[in-house]
Amino acid sequence: MTQTAHLVNRLPNDIGGVDAERIEQTDHVLEPWEKRCHALADVLDYHKIISTEEKRRGVESLGAKMIGELTYYERWIVAFANILFQKGVLTPDDLAKKMEEVAARHSGPIEAHE
Amino acid sequence: MPEPSSATAAKSLHTVKSFGDQPTWKPGDAIRISVRYPIAHYRVPRYIHGKHGTVEMVLDRALVNNEEEGFGRNAGQLGYYYRVAIPLTELWPGYAGSPNDNLRIEVFETWLEKP
Amino acid sequence: MQTHEHQHDEDHSHPHPHAPSAKDDGPPGYYEIMETAMRELLVERKLIGPGEIRRQIEVLDSRTPALGAKVVARAWVDPDFRARLFANGRKACEEDFGISFYDDTELIALENTEKIHNLVVCTLCSCYPRPVLGLPPDWYKAKPYRARAVKEPRVVLAEFGTIIPDDVEIRVSDSTAVVRFLVVPRRPEGTENFTEEELAALVTRDAMIGVVPVQLPTANIS
Repeated sequence: MTQTAHLVNRLPNDIGGVDAERIEQTDHVLEPWEKRCHALADVLDYHKIISTEEKRRGVESLGAKMIGELTYYERWIVAFANILFQKGVLTPDDLAKKMEEVAARHSGPIEAHE
Repeated sequence: MPEPSSATAAKSLHTVKSFGDQPTWKPGDAIRISVRYPIAHYRVPRYIHGKHGTVEMVLDRALVNNEEEGFGRNAGQLGYYYRVAIPLTELWPGYAGSPNDNLRIEVFETWLEKP
Repeated sequence: MQTHEHQHDEDHSHPHPHAPSAKDDGPPGYYEIMETAMRELLVERKLIGPGEIRRQIEVLDSRTPALGAKVVARAWVDPDFRARLFANGRKACEEDFGISFYDDTELIALENTEKIHNLVVCTLCSCYPRPVLGLPPDWYKAKPYRARAVKEPRVVLAEFGTIIPDDVEIRVSDSTAVVRFLVVPRRPEGTENFTEEELAALVTRDAMIGVVPVQLPTANIS
């Protein structure tokens, strides 16, 4: 039972006080899509399509594996998609079709199903 | 729940206040943070659950609980956030720094209890 | 032995190895395609306006630590502004500097003194005073700082080269809700004749997070 209890009794974003490594004073200039993703978060909040609090909950509910392996803005955009589906603003099919369309402009299928 | 301050009480006619009309706690009050199970969408981090502290200040204007807002509910019962002080020696047994070192954190009033 | 939990908590101090990026002129990565598709769908359905994202990028680009530095320098030289900043940080920034709080957060300014050193963190996510400082650095959003700042702030500060004497109280502010925090560092000695503008040039982002003091340029050599 203790093998998996940590997955249940602590949300993966709730890390105050857990063991962690030395701080590396890293930073990077945001890529254009990351900055657009940040701006999208603000605009979605202005319209209360996805509020900041909904976004926070959306990110924490991605689960430990995605939180651990996706980058910061990758987590945000996936959380937005999930919330928009949950609220019925978009359907998964809407997004999948549009993603195919966007990928086709760059002459290639989406390489997500390896 | 603690009584409102005597100054407020003296000036007020006897009306029943809605939740959120006035703060429940005042600066200097000793409080304990709730312990909650099961785990859920909390905006109160686990490392302060069950810990004892002191109210430093009542944050301006009553607001909707942001844990409710996390589910898309943007209206409803208002309440106050409090800036709470908790000694690091209370949070971390064997804390090696100065005994005066402390945490300050905003906590919504539904999480505060009498110690 | 390290547990599974530790490996898979939000640990993103490393740069971005995943998606190919636009700046490499390669095809957009999976998540960039998702961002573009989502944005276009929302605009097509008139849920957001066509120019809103571009406008918000301009808002974000206009917010840098230089704004916060101006606020700090003003607080050092103008006792009236200083009092208003500590009474209501957001109002003082809006009234005196026209800094809008586009994310509808409040601001509490925290004063470092001879007796108190403030440090700001967000253990649950990455709350940060974006209207006055811009976007946070990666280390602020990554696990090591978020996990450790509330448990061993003196060790964390030492990793930034900051040693706080034991008789100085450390206050760690963990943002969880609507309030954001701006540290007003101590004004360095030897700046009595500096203009407000010269003072602002000394104030760094990290000093306003509380991980380093403000130093004179010559003091950085050591």
